[in-house]
Amino acid sequence: MIRNAALFFAVLTLLLFATGCWSRRELNDLAIVTGVAIDKIDNKYRVSVQVVDPGEAAGKKGSSGRSPVTLYDASGDTVFEVIRRMTTVTPRKLYFSHLRMFVLSEDLAREGIGKILDFFSRDHELRTDFYIVVSKGRAAKDIISILTPLEKNPSTKMFTSLEVSEKAWAPTVAIQLDELINDIVSEGKEPVLTGILIKGNPAIGKGKGNLETIDTPTNLQYGGIAVFKKDRMIGWLNEEESKGVSNLTNRLDSTVMEVACGNNGKLAVEVIRSNTKVKGKVKDGQPEIKVTIRTEANIGDVECQIDLMKSKTLYDLEIELEQKMKSDAERALSKAKKLKSDIFGFGEAIHRADPNYWQTVKKDWDKHFPSLPVRIKVDFKIRQLGTTGDSFQNKLKE
Amino acid sequence: MVRNEKISARQFGILVALYSIGTTILIVPAVLAEEAKQDAWIAALLGVGIGIVLVGLFIAVGSLIPSMSLVELMEELLGKWLGKAVSLTFIFFALVTASELLYFVGNFITTQIMPETPMQSINIIFACVVVMGVRLGIETLARSAELLFPLFVFLFLVFVIFVSPQVKVENIQPVLEADFKNLLRAAIYFISVFSLPTVVLLMVYPASVNRPNEAKKNFFSGVIIAGVTLIIMIALSILVLGVTTTQLQIYPSYSLAKKINVGNFLQRIEIVMAGMWFISIFFKLSLYFYASVTGLAQTLNVKDYRFLTLPLGVVMVALSMLVHPNTLHSFEYNRETWLSYVSTYGLFLPLLLLGVYAFRRKGRQDMATSSNETKSE
Repeated sequence: MIRNAALFFAVLTLLLFATGCWSRRELNDLAIVTGVAIDKIDNKYRVSVQVVDPGEAAGKKGSSGRSPVTLYDASGDTVFEVIRRMTTVTPRKLYFSHLRMFVLSEDLAREGIGKILDFFSRDHELRTDFYIVVSKGRAAKDIISILTPLEKNPSTKMFTSLEVSEKAWAPTVAIQLDELINDIVSEGKEPVLTGILIKGNPAIGKGKGNLETIDTPTNLQYGGIAVFKKDRMIGWLNEEESKGVSNLTNRLDSTVMEVACGNNGKLAVEVIRSNTKVKGKVKDGQPEIKVTIRTEANIGDVECQIDLMKSKTLYDLEIELEQKMKSDAERALSKAKKLKSDIFGFGEAIHRADPNYWQTVKKDWDKHFPSLPVRIKVDFKIRQLGTTGDSFQNKLKE
Repeated sequence: MVRNEKISARQFGILVALYSIGTTILIVPAVLAEEAKQDAWIAALLGVGIGIVLVGLFIAVGSLIPSMSLVELMEELLGKWLGKAVSLTFIFFALVTASELLYFVGNFITTQIMPETPMQSINIIFACVVVMGVRLGIETLARSAELLFPLFVFLFLVFVIFVSPQVKVENIQPVLEADFKNLLRAAIYFISVFSLPTVVLLMVYPASVNRPNEAKKNFFSGVIIAGVTLIIMIALSILVLGVTTTQLQIYPSYSLAKKINVGNFLQRIEIVMAGMWFISIFFKLSLYFYASVTGLAQTLNVKDYRFLTLPLGVVMVALSMLVHPNTLHSFEYNRETWLSYVSTYGLFLPLLLLGVYAFRRKGRQDMATSSNETKSE
């Protein structure tokens, strides 16, 4: 009995030594990184990190006037080295698990991004759920130095804004690390990333002043899609072409499309769902792609004279919208063909359709791609009119 | 050898399933994706098929003399000295593999979760649990397997349901592109991790199972349950992560668990999911260790194996720090050395025992009355 009790206490004492983890890091030891920006300056990587200021981010007790995030940067030859070197300026060790945005400068992207991605896929702290974007014409560091209204943390702003715009507007692509690496490695598909730019004066955007007026002087905005070939960026797509990319890669969820109608008026429809099917086929040794886009939309905005009492009007609109969608897609396609970069994954579609044929062309697919015939078929259906029927503007005229 | 411990056929089935899932669930998707690309799941299917045939072989060996464990059987069939010698190499095999699994646990945790923690501390803690389990006996192990199995199934189902929204069917197309040679190579690798080590279970079956005939059926169903689990896991890795990511990751299943994100709310639960493979690895490791400890006791003709657990446990921890100097060494070992090592015991030994048995019986029939040697109990 006494022996048992002694044993029990011995075990109890042991428990004291068994608490917690060895490599534990409490919240107050962490510098939570939400954004990373990488530039290449004089052949060295300059890594800038945006770190949350916990005292400011916590919120409710009223802000002390400090910026909600702070920025550190350092330069060096490898990304990992630079990140560790930052401990010479940061009060705590950087913690990357909550990384939201990863911004690459355009110059760096044009030189090739493969080398810098390795660290981010190898380190155990990083997850793959952050978005990657390219800063258009500006240093990536400038992008993450801008303060944003509404979302205290600029990286969160960029993250949600990209997510929302991909869902509701379409010409942006939300790409995460694993998808990017898959696309770089894949032989039948080339990567794309969304571009980000600063609207307004960057010098003002960096200061608290950016948040003090109603009309924010400087804002971050997404625009255009960067086309890559392997890990090297080779060009930009404009808005229409970017919409075409969404159409062709089944990324389109919802967007707004406008068509001319009546006498110099316009009409806009809201796409509510869309589905793209890409089918590859090899016939007599000739590859061919058939894309079928099925889209449903509602009338959203009538700014012209049009008779919305007859279904024939809708059928005419559908044909017009089909044409419009098709031309967007074709424009994106011809741009990609000009850049010789198969960003739509048509090579993978051919691979799925005829693995044997693919073996013969996969080596120089970028040479075959520009002459690849692509048949695009759009099936556009307008379903509903919104809450009103015929537009009140028609009554105005009478 | 006093044999008072018996586990039920149902418990045995569960042990077989957890044992076969073991470490396979963590490491196999990467290698299979590298060999067979998007057809990795077909290779696994092939592997499970061959695995079922192998179960037939193990059962045949087990039913030669149902009251004996593998080590006793070797002594009986191969003669006292040769039998003991082979037994010792088998015990060494089981112990080294147990320590290899221990290395694996330490490596997994230090790679993915706590890189600054010394591996020794993880290995010692894990080994303590294993030694404790084996000391308490196979009945205790089997009962805890019975208790933990529903948890395993629950975690697995949650895993599958939460990951499946991210499935992209294009990732496994075109189906059957890999040529047969690659498929077979992948399947053989799969078997070397999945089915061949099952020979170790002959230390439990049929001698420590209360209804060996029923257990026969559960042996098969255990392997099939494990096989289906693994095929689903491999298919999901490729369907969600894609071939490239799957083959580049060291632990694809863990990366897969990281992808879980239900409505931006239920996410970052991979460590809960990791509980799944801690369960399966624990039982695989315990059974290897149990086999080496009881095997040694039987070879040395000791009545009770329990006093051996602590010293061998210490040896196991020490070995686990020595088996692989680095991660790449363990990959190379798994892919190049392991197959021939495990098939020595998982394939040739059972065939040898069957051959010797058949030969001896024939000899006995020839000499009808003169020899009663093999019949003695």
